[in-house]
Amino acid sequence: MSDQTTTQSGDSAASPILQARDVHKTYRLGRVDVPVLKGASLTVYRGEWIAILGASGSGKSTLLHLMGDLDQPDTAKGTIHFDGNDLTQLTQSRRNRYRNNSIGFVFQFYHLLPELNVTENTILPSLVGLSRFAYYRQRAELRGQAASLLQAFGLDHRLTHRPRELSGGERQRVAIARALINRPQVLLADEPTGNLDEQTGGEILDLLARQHQAGLTIVMVTHDPDIAKRADRIVRLHHGQVQEDINRI
Amino acid sequence: MYHALLTNRYLTTRVIPLIAVAAVALCVALVIIVVSVMTGFLDMVKDSGRTLMGDVVISYPINGIPHYERLIERLEKLPDVHAATPVIDSWGLVKMPYPDGPNKQTETVQIWGVDPESFNEVTGFADTLYWRPLTEDEQNKAHEDDFRRLVSNKVLQDGIALHDSRSDLPGIVLGMHVSEANVRQEDGSYQPMREGYWWMPNFQVTLTTLPIDTSGGFLEPESTILPVVNEFISGVYLIDDKRVMVPLQIAQRLLHLDEAELLDEEGEEVIGIDPARATMILIRGKGNMTPDELEPIIEQSYEQFYDELWKDTSAQILPPPRATEEQHGAIIQTWEKQQEPFIGPIEKERELMRTLFSLVYLVCAGLVLAIFWAIVYEKTRDIGILRSIGASRLGISWIFLRYGLVVGVLGSIVGLGLAYLVVHNINTIHTAMGHPPITLAIVFALSALVTLILTIMRSRSGRLLPLVLGLLITVTLILLAVLVYIAWKLGGVVIWDPKVYYFTTIPNTLDMASALLTMIGAVLFSLIGAFLPAAKAADTDPVKALRYE
Repeated sequence: MSDQTTTQSGDSAASPILQARDVHKTYRLGRVDVPVLKGASLTVYRGEWIAILGASGSGKSTLLHLMGDLDQPDTAKGTIHFDGNDLTQLTQSRRNRYRNNSIGFVFQFYHLLPELNVTENTILPSLVGLSRFAYYRQRAELRGQAASLLQAFGLDHRLTHRPRELSGGERQRVAIARALINRPQVLLADEPTGNLDEQTGGEILDLLARQHQAGLTIVMVTHDPDIAKRADRIVRLHHGQVQEDINRI
Repeated sequence: MYHALLTNRYLTTRVIPLIAVAAVALCVALVIIVVSVMTGFLDMVKDSGRTLMGDVVISYPINGIPHYERLIERLEKLPDVHAATPVIDSWGLVKMPYPDGPNKQTETVQIWGVDPESFNEVTGFADTLYWRPLTEDEQNKAHEDDFRRLVSNKVLQDGIALHDSRSDLPGIVLGMHVSEANVRQEDGSYQPMREGYWWMPNFQVTLTTLPIDTSGGFLEPESTILPVVNEFISGVYLIDDKRVMVPLQIAQRLLHLDEAELLDEEGEEVIGIDPARATMILIRGKGNMTPDELEPIIEQSYEQFYDELWKDTSAQILPPPRATEEQHGAIIQTWEKQQEPFIGPIEKERELMRTLFSLVYLVCAGLVLAIFWAIVYEKTRDIGILRSIGASRLGISWIFLRYGLVVGVLGSIVGLGLAYLVVHNINTIHTAMGHPPITLAIVFALSALVTLILTIMRSRSGRLLPLVLGLLITVTLILLAVLVYIAWKLGGVVIWDPKVYYFTTIPNTLDMASALLTMIGAVLFSLIGAFLPAAKAADTDPVKALRYE
């Protein structure tokens, strides 16, 4: 097990926001147990941009899913802490709120709902968190917020378009807007440029960089060392463990 | 809040849920149509049964109720009673005038001896008499050979009075189906056989009864010849096939229920008068009085009548007490209870039909389940996305349950509309099927041709779906054209043949109570159908769902 607790350089006062400690995760494929994470530990500090680098099958997406509470570590084999709280010990509704409020996911394949337009896709996390009455009270405010976010991302001419009418880069920008609509503390991005050409991918990374500069903590999974270089810190996953932690800043 | 948005979008942007709505709508429409027609049929039977029964019936068969005039007088003084009438109900034989020759046909009949005036007041008997002059409107609609065109008003008046004005003798009115000479036509009218020769009001019949004495023994048969003055049609086949109406006094005389001298035990000395009797008293309530409301009032009044005669020392013959669980006596019932043996089986039949057709709900639930299962499968990735942004398992399952609910509600409403259209126009549809216009076949054939041309044009794109769909529609239209042509060639398809079924028209009133029950059932079964897919959706692993392509 490699214990990665190195403090973020350049900001010694930064406190941990997300911590994976000695996490194990095994998937069952047919009759075979396939261990993906074998005691991975990672501490993410408030305000940093961290890139998890690794080959296909190294467990980087799995680690991201565990940190985002989309999946749970093997029983009694590791913990995930957010802001000091062990996610595995939270009630189901608090975990739902964690995914809804505290983090935002960005995926390689955008994962927008095809039936909803750009604005609706963007405000979807807010809709999930609100009751019907609360939504009607805040509807105008919510739509305004989505509109300004989308405008900042250069999508103000696409508000009522469906995902199929957008380019790959535009879709990913909508996905980032959706991830940010509830003002999460951490953005979890799984190969956010993996499905885009170099130029568009660069634009997306620029957009993420702007958010990071505004104070957003980002955990980004990538297999591309050049993309990883945009992050403050790079960790390498190898055979289910964090092998290397490179402080770039 | 997202449930409403997603349900709305899933419903309006896809064809599959519309197929589910259509399936539910067809199931609902089918059940509502069948139950409505059955209920309408039952209501028609009930209404017909009520026509000759009044609201409440006091009955004491065979021996009859003595002093019935006093009872009727008492009843008619009640504020809730419109009228009451005595009836003799018994069985006998009628020797019909046919066939030609000395050997005539004999029919077993139910004899009702009635007082024409009060009987008409209570039951509306006059309205059931068939042979009457046609109104102007009826004349326009009736077939040119309709025998009623020849009937004078005198026949109707004789029927109402049960009196033959030609011979100045008491007359008999037969149920329409007592005589086999009345042939029911396709339009529901009747034609006497041999081009009107065997029109019963031109003949007389011999009525024979077998009176019973007070100890239950048979006396000598009694016979009388009575001219047929009219025929009635109540709408209930069992009544119209068996019942004949004669004046009360004739029935009383034939059954020895008329006023007689009361002899001592040796049978030598006259010690008093044995009053005339009636085996039934039919009572009609006033205004909106329901039979069930009237029944206890009549029971109370009968008990007072009984007590009054019990205390009357001059009354040598006492009426029977009111029947209770412990004692035999006069039975007081609403007309519905009285008709229970007849109406009961039809009601059971309706419930059986409702139950059998309700199996359609299972089809409905199965369809919703299959369609929703496919939708959940298709929406696996969406479920993963929703879970990643904080949607709970319950929230995910509620999307699909709500979806099922909306499909059920929409399907039910569309089904109700469809059923209303069909039920409301069922006779028009039936008539159209009976006499399909050849133009309809031509329209179908031309539509098939146009569809075929469009299909060939669209098939140039190389896509298979428009080709298959177009050919399917073409074949369906050709089949319809052929069916209409065959039906036209055969002179129409008559399903509800008035020659066979009793009512001339198919009931066309929507049974709203049953319709609501059916709609609720459909919504419930749609929800049941959506439960499994909803649970499957809730259990979907978000990580696998997000990897799903």
